[in-house]
Amino acid sequence: MQNKPQTSEHSDHHTTHFGFETVAEHEKQKKVGEVFHSVAQKYDIMNDVMSAGLHRIWKRFTVDVSGVGQGDKVLDIAGGSGDLSKLFAKKVGTQSAHNPGQVILTDINASMLGVGRDRMIDAGLTIPAAQCNAEFLPFADNSFNCVTVAFGLRNMTHKEAALKEMQRVLKPGGRLLVLEFSKVWQPLEKLYDSYSFKLLPKLGKWIAKDEPSYRYLAESIRMHPDQETLKTMMHEAGFGKVDYYNLTAGVVALHKGVKV
Amino acid sequence: MNPKLLEILVCPVTKGPLVYDKQKQELISKNARLAYPVRDGIPVMLEDEARRLEEHEYSE
Repeated sequence: MQNKPQTSEHSDHHTTHFGFETVAEHEKQKKVGEVFHSVAQKYDIMNDVMSAGLHRIWKRFTVDVSGVGQGDKVLDIAGGSGDLSKLFAKKVGTQSAHNPGQVILTDINASMLGVGRDRMIDAGLTIPAAQCNAEFLPFADNSFNCVTVAFGLRNMTHKEAALKEMQRVLKPGGRLLVLEFSKVWQPLEKLYDSYSFKLLPKLGKWIAKDEPSYRYLAESIRMHPDQETLKTMMHEAGFGKVDYYNLTAGVVALHKGVKV
Repeated sequence: MNPKLLEILVCPVTKGPLVYDKQKQELISKNARLAYPVRDGIPVMLEDEARRLEEHEYSE
């Protein structure tokens, strides 16, 4: 697979962003891994506190926009603790004799996936889990009706490669949904900045006993492509009918594209 | 490991088929000469975590 160099000209020294830091490409994956290993146990409660519960509404909206129905096959990438997988399973069903519907929960991080798998079992849902890298998906071409990635694309080293892989495993007509932090409405920028750079790391410190990981979160949001840039990237990865919805004044955007 | 998952997994490197070795808890990709571990029921489909196959394992 062809991965585009992101900033450096020297092929052996490609660099990328880890929050506001510039790091070697091969280091980013490891550093992101450490962040999620550290926060895995407190991830769900932190999401509720940080977003005042809004993340639940954003995720529900994602499932509504997906247009999936009973019998569809869904791949949840960077699915972590399994919020989206659970919601999707209610819509498509979990594989049984009468219903081929299936959701597969994946994440690159073993700690996050362990939490997610246990939560699915506790909820009585048959949702298989697999650990994988979105840039090298272990699924055949044209396998899924819907691929979803919520708050995951931001952390990937080669976003173009990952988007192409998502396109490859979708069936023609299948939909990709990317839920991710985005560029907030300009009049709210100052308020949002002081929240995310001052209060957010403190919340991380008090609840997850981990301030740096939540500083990384705030920084990585600022480095992530804005709404229009991500739309262009999805076009370039081979998606058609790409569009997005701004949620909560652009704090988050939901991008949808169709494999043509 | 979930049998339905086994039906749809392929090698992330070659996109070729996998063979499940239940005893060793590994998914074997002969094309890539790699064995992906299954840990705690979860297949780990990462090249970095895979074991390189010995010559006799991929030639037989």
